[in-house]
Amino acid sequence: MNAIVSIRDVVKEYQLGTTVVQALRGVSLEVQKGEFLSIAGPSGSGKTTLLNLIGCVDTATRGVVEVAGKDTAKLSERELTDLRLNTIGFIFQSFNLVSVLTLFQNVEFPLLLQRKLGAKERRDKVMQLLEQVGLHTHAKHRPSELSGGQRQRVAVARALVTDPLLVLADEPTANLDSTTGNQIIDLMKTLNQQKGTTFIFSTHDHKVMQHANAVIRLADGKVLERVSAREAVEHALSLGEAPQAEARA
Amino acid sequence: MLIQIAWRNLLASPINLIIGGLILAGTFLFVVVGGLLDSLNDAMARSVVGSVAGHIQLYSSKSKDELALYGGMGGDQDLSAVTEFPRIKQTLEQLDNVKEVVPMGSSGALITAGNIVDVTLERLRNLYKAREGQLDDPRLRDLSREELDARITATRRHVRQIIRVLEADQKKAQAILQAEAIDPEVVAAVERVSKDAFWHDFEKDTWGSLEFLENKIAPQVTDAQLMFLRYLGTDLDRFQESFDRMQIVDGTKVPKGQRGFLIAKLMYEDQMKLKNARRLDKLKDARANGRLIATDDELKRFVKENRAQTRDLVLQLDDLKTAEATKRLQGYLQSTEGDLTALLSAFFDTTDANLEDRHRFFYEQLAPLVELYRVRIGDTLTIKAFSKGGAIQAVNVRVYGTFAFTGLEKSPLAGGTSLMDLMSFRDLYGYLTADKKEELAQLQRDTGARAVNRENAEDALFGEGNTVVAEATPGIIDEDKTFTGAGRRLREDDLVKRVYTEAEINGGVVLNAAVMLKDASRLSETLATINATASAQQLEIKAVSWQQASGILGQVINFFRGVLILAVLFIFGIAMVIINNAMMMATIQRTQTIGTMRAIGAQRSLILTMVLTESGVLGMIFGGVGILLGSAAMAWLHAKGIPAPNDVAYFFFSGPRLLPELSTTNLVVALVIIFLVTLLSTLFPAVIATRISPLRAMQADE
Repeated sequence: MNAIVSIRDVVKEYQLGTTVVQALRGVSLEVQKGEFLSIAGPSGSGKTTLLNLIGCVDTATRGVVEVAGKDTAKLSERELTDLRLNTIGFIFQSFNLVSVLTLFQNVEFPLLLQRKLGAKERRDKVMQLLEQVGLHTHAKHRPSELSGGQRQRVAVARALVTDPLLVLADEPTANLDSTTGNQIIDLMKTLNQQKGTTFIFSTHDHKVMQHANAVIRLADGKVLERVSAREAVEHALSLGEAPQAEARA
Repeated sequence: MLIQIAWRNLLASPINLIIGGLILAGTFLFVVVGGLLDSLNDAMARSVVGSVAGHIQLYSSKSKDELALYGGMGGDQDLSAVTEFPRIKQTLEQLDNVKEVVPMGSSGALITAGNIVDVTLERLRNLYKAREGQLDDPRLRDLSREELDARITATRRHVRQIIRVLEADQKKAQAILQAEAIDPEVVAAVERVSKDAFWHDFEKDTWGSLEFLENKIAPQVTDAQLMFLRYLGTDLDRFQESFDRMQIVDGTKVPKGQRGFLIAKLMYEDQMKLKNARRLDKLKDARANGRLIATDDELKRFVKENRAQTRDLVLQLDDLKTAEATKRLQGYLQSTEGDLTALLSAFFDTTDANLEDRHRFFYEQLAPLVELYRVRIGDTLTIKAFSKGGAIQAVNVRVYGTFAFTGLEKSPLAGGTSLMDLMSFRDLYGYLTADKKEELAQLQRDTGARAVNRENAEDALFGEGNTVVAEATPGIIDEDKTFTGAGRRLREDDLVKRVYTEAEINGGVVLNAAVMLKDASRLSETLATINATASAQQLEIKAVSWQQASGILGQVINFFRGVLILAVLFIFGIAMVIINNAMMMATIQRTQTIGTMRAIGAQRSLILTMVLTESGVLGMIFGGVGILLGSAAMAWLHAKGIPAPNDVAYFFFSGPRLLPELSTTNLVVALVIIFLVTLLSTLFPAVIATRISPLRAMQADE
C-alpha cells in the first residue's frame, strides 16, 4: 500500500466553554507517497486541525488516522513523539526557529534528538541541507539576523534534515510576501521532486495552490472534493477570494 | 547543546541577574558567616578544651543537674560525687583514644582579706606572740629577738600612722556633720589611742591594748573586701600536664603531690591588686588600644575613682613610708603640698598626655612602699566554704603562684577560676579524707571517745527514748571545734608540707573529670565508647562533650548558628520564590519554542532536563562565584585576623585575634544547598514546561 496517510471518518471536537465545536465532521482522505498536496479552504474550515491530526500533535475524537501505516490512536505519547521525530517534518507559519541557537544548530536539533548520527555526519548533513536552501554561508548566524524568507528556508532545511517520509506545512507562506512565498514553495517542490518526500501544506493562496499536484478543498469541517491544482485555482478565483484579506486558518 | 541553550536563555533575561545575585549573596553569606562561626566554634573549643573542660567531661550519672562548667541558669549545679574515680580512670585510660583522665571538682567561696587595720594589728599580735614563743609561724620562726623587736617597732609606727589618718578623718567629719551623728565613744577611743601615753604603756598590757585597738579602732575602717573565689580542685600535676596552655605567671607551680593554691592571674589582678594600681593598668591598656581619657566615659570614671579613693594606699604606709611617699610625690609634682592624700589625688589626675609617665613613676617610686596585692605569693589563704551539706568548712592553703592560659590572659571566663589541690577541695567539699579520718581517730583515742553508731548516738548522749535532736549531716565536721591542740598543729604545718601519692590524690571523691583525647576529631565516637563502657562496667558516670559541659556558653555558638541558618533559609527561601516565578515566566514566554521542540520530536524528559539545566547552570555560576568570593573574603580575614572587641571575646576568639579558617565542609554544604535550592525552585516550572503541548507550535503567535 502506497498511502502514507490514511484518514477514515475522522471527527474532531473541541470543547469551547460549554459548547462543543466540531472542527472536523467525518473526514476521509488518503495521501500517496511523493504527493505534493495542498489543503485549501476558508478560515475555520478545519485545515489546521487536519494537519495537526496528520502530524500526530493532536488526536481525533473519533475515526482512524494512520500515518506511515500506524494507527495514531494506538500509540503512546512517547511513541507519537518518536513518530514525529523520525517520520514527519514540520514547517510552521511563523517559522518557529529557536532564537538562541544558530542556523546550524537549529537544523541540527532534530538530528541530535534522533541520536543516530555522529558529529561529523551531522555536520555534513546539516551543511548539505543549508546549501540546498542556499544559506550555508549563514550557518553561524542567529535567526534574528535573517529575513522572513531566509528563516522559512532554514525551517524547510530543519524539516528535511531527518529525511522524513512526510513534511507538513501549515500556511508556510502566510507570513511572507508573495515572491518569497513562491520561492519557498518552489524550494519545497524541488525537494519533493529530488527526494520524493511527501508534502502536505495548507494554504488559501491560489498562487501557492497552483504548485500542488492536487488540492483537497475543505469547508465546514468536511472534504468538499479532491481536485487538480488548476481546478482549485479556478474555483478560488471564481469566488473572488483575496488571499491577502483572508484571515489565518 | 542543552547547556548552550540554557546559557543563552540565561543571557537573554535580566531577571536571571537578580536571581543569580540572590544565590550569590546567599552562598557568600553561608560561606563567610558559616566559616566564621566554625572558626569561632573551633576557637572556643580550644578555649574550653584547653582551659578546664578537656575534650570530654565525666560526672556522676546520679547527679540531679547537668554539668555546666561555666555556670548554668543560677548557681552551682547539684552534682553527685564520683566515688570510684581510680577504677574509672583505670578503665577509661585503657580505651583507644583516651590520653588522660584528670579528676576535678569546682566550687566557690567567699574570702575576705580583712581590712588594713585588721591585717596590721594581726601582724603586730603575731609578732608579739612570736616574741613570747607562743606562735610557731614558719615565716617568723627563724627571726632573732632583735629582728622581732625591730619589726614590732615598725608595725607599731604603722598602726600609729593609721590612727593619725583616722584622726584627720574625724576632724573633717566633725566639721561637716551634725553633733548627733558623731559617736562620742568613737571620738574618745581615737583620742585615747592617738596619745603618746597609750603607746608608752602599750606593753604593760600588750594583749589588752591590742584588743582595744581591734575592738574599737579597726571597725572604723571599712575597707574590708569580700572576694568571691571560684576554684577548681584537681590533680594539679595532671592538670598542668594535660592543659598545656596553662602557664605560671607569678611564683611557682605547686610542688608535686602537695597541697596548694594557684590564683587565676586575672582574678589576682582584678580583685586582689590595689585598686589604684589596677585602674592605672587598665588606663594604660585602654590608651594602648587607642582609647582616650578625654573622650571615654569609662576611663574618666577610672581617673575620678583613682583621685577619690586613695585610702587603701595611705593606710598601708607607716609614718616613715608616708614621709617618703610625700617627699617623692612633692618632687615629682613640683608641689609644696604636705598632705599625702591631696598629693595622691593630684598625682592620680592622669590625662592622655601624662598617663604613661605617671604609670611608670607609680611602679618605680610608690609601689615599692606598699603591698600591691592583698594576697601575696607564699601567703596562706584561709578559704571558708559551705560544704555540700551546708556546714562551713575551712582549709588553709598556701598560695604558690598565679597562672593564666596562653591566649586567654584577658578572658574573665578562663581567668575566673583558680586552682586548688584535690585534697583541700575535698576538705572544703565536706567529705572525709584519709587525713581527717586519721585525725578523727586520733582525737577519739585522745579524748577517750567511744565509737557509737550514729543511730544510737542520741540515745547514748541523751538517754534512751529521746529523739529530739536534728539529724546529723554525714561527713561534716566543724573544724574549729574538732581540730584543736594536736589536730590544729597537724593541719597547719604538716599538711602544707605533706606529699601525697597519686593513689591518695585519686582515691577519693571527685565531682567531675576531664578526659583528654589523643585525636580530638574522633570526639563523638570516643564519647559513645566511653558511655558504653561506663554502662557496661557500671561506672555510674555520664560523659558529655566539652560543648555540652560548658553550659550556656556551649549554646552560644549553637544560637548564632541557628541565626545563620535562619538567615540563609530566608535568603534562599526568597531566592526560591523568585527563581520559581522567573522560571514560570520564562517557560510561558517560551511556550512556542518548547511546543516547537516537542512537535519536532523532543520528548518530555528532554524539556525537563533543559529547564533544570538552565537553573542548574545559573545556580552553579552564581553559587560558584559566591563561594569564590566567600573563600576570598575568608582568606583575607584569615590573613588580617579579627581583633577581639572586648575581654569576653578573648575567650570566644581563643586569644586576642580570631583567625578564621575556611572549612571544606562549609563549601560542600554550600554546594549542596545551591543544588537543592535551584532544583526545588525549578522543579515546578520544569514540570509545567513538559506539559506544553506540541500544538502550541502551531499557534501563530510571535
